[in-house]
Amino acid sequence: MTSHSPDRTQSTMLHINNLQKSFGDLAVLNGVNLEVAQQEVLVIIGPSGSGKSTLLRCVNHLEPPTGGEIYLEGVLINDTTKSRRAFESHLNRIRCEVGMVFQQFNLFPHMTVLENIMEAPIQVLGVKRDEARQAAVSLLDRVGLADKMDNYPCMLSGGQQQRVAIARALAMKPKVMLFDEVTSALDPELVGDVLRVMEGLARDGMTMLVVTHEMGFAEKVGDRVIFMADGLVVEDAPPQEIFSAPKEARTRQFLAEVLK
Amino acid sequence: MFDWNIIIHYFPFFITGALLTLKISILSLLFGLIFGLVAALCKLSSNPLLRWPAVFYVWLIRSTPLLVQLFIIYFGLPQIGIDLGPFFSGVLGLALNVGAYNAETIRGGIISVPYGQTEAARSLGMNAALAMRRIILPQALRIIIPPLGNNFVILIKDTSLVSTITVVELTLTAQRLIGSTYKPFEMYVMAAVLYAVLTSSASLLLTWVERRTRTEARRS
Repeated sequence: MTSHSPDRTQSTMLHINNLQKSFGDLAVLNGVNLEVAQQEVLVIIGPSGSGKSTLLRCVNHLEPPTGGEIYLEGVLINDTTKSRRAFESHLNRIRCEVGMVFQQFNLFPHMTVLENIMEAPIQVLGVKRDEARQAAVSLLDRVGLADKMDNYPCMLSGGQQQRVAIARALAMKPKVMLFDEVTSALDPELVGDVLRVMEGLARDGMTMLVVTHEMGFAEKVGDRVIFMADGLVVEDAPPQEIFSAPKEARTRQFLAEVLK
Repeated sequence: MFDWNIIIHYFPFFITGALLTLKISILSLLFGLIFGLVAALCKLSSNPLLRWPAVFYVWLIRSTPLLVQLFIIYFGLPQIGIDLGPFFSGVLGLALNVGAYNAETIRGGIISVPYGQTEAARSLGMNAALAMRRIILPQALRIIIPPLGNNFVILIKDTSLVSTITVVELTLTAQRLIGSTYKPFEMYVMAAVLYAVLTSSASLLLTWVERRTRTEARRS
């Protein structure tokens, strides 16, 4: 704890306690417990319908949890004791600190690439236009798309759009980034560019929660992998362990399917 | 047996009438847009205190004839102490009427924008109002403009109904001239021609606006 080297177990970024979520009668999360350390890269794998995406979406409250608690650096995210108005502004502050990248990119089609990235810093954080522009340009440089800044999203490939979406989320200077199957909608040859950007982010010390089917990425970049099934964390281990010697039968079965 | 001379002779009266029709149309259009936008947003609100009055308003207007609505405002309201006079009664009636139709058009445009856009905006910390103003409405506008234009062309034609509450616009101008000339064919045809000029100009203007918003959005 006295060292300044990036000790990945140093302190907790995200603490999730007995998280539950159901849609009507359908229970999707059945009591998830999870700790994510600062600068940790947590990869979440599991069959479809296991609750991976819902777990991510509960973290920034795009889905309001039905039960349990989520803490971001000790601050309760789903604080139901607050009044409606107070809770709304509390949520907006939290969302500034939690970046999210979606499977379908969701870039704003009526804005250029640069405007997409500048929009929230200017409108939400009140950053000055020139500063926002400078930051956006350097973020675009970082994701390798500086030459596309004046294009509209529809003129970019899926992989390029996704990298812009990552830059857009990073522009808010978040503490945590959530990646929700961000390469699933991409043509295979475009996946690599997006994963390389994420790898760079991980190297720079971003705390990341990554839902993915890219097992190669999980193994190479992940600090920890959790396997989810039926709304529960079934196995939680370092990638080498989970891929070479999974303890649970369900994990083995799943990995046998996807690594076939 | 079409008497051209009488039309040329009374042409200035028609121009005055047509200008008043245009004025009523533009004012009703503006207020109709405001009523429509407010009602659409209220109908989409999760707050029942906003939603139900908007639902009631749209239902009430769409299930009753415009003529009766105008009569209630012009003949009915003075009885309870609200006397707007013919001109403003007409504008209010038309604006309330087109507003209800606009509300449905605007609401349809808003809900046709993919939900992922709202989620992306909210995930960046935007509150609901900001996301609506900066992200959703600009995209909805492209979808809304053509049917909204339709509503406005219909509105121009509906202004003829305010002739029944003594507003001397195009139709009542024609009727009054018939009273002194006994030439209904010439007078009504002239009125019809001028309505056609007004509605066609509005359509052309709308086509131009549509083309502009389409190139601005540059969306495939």
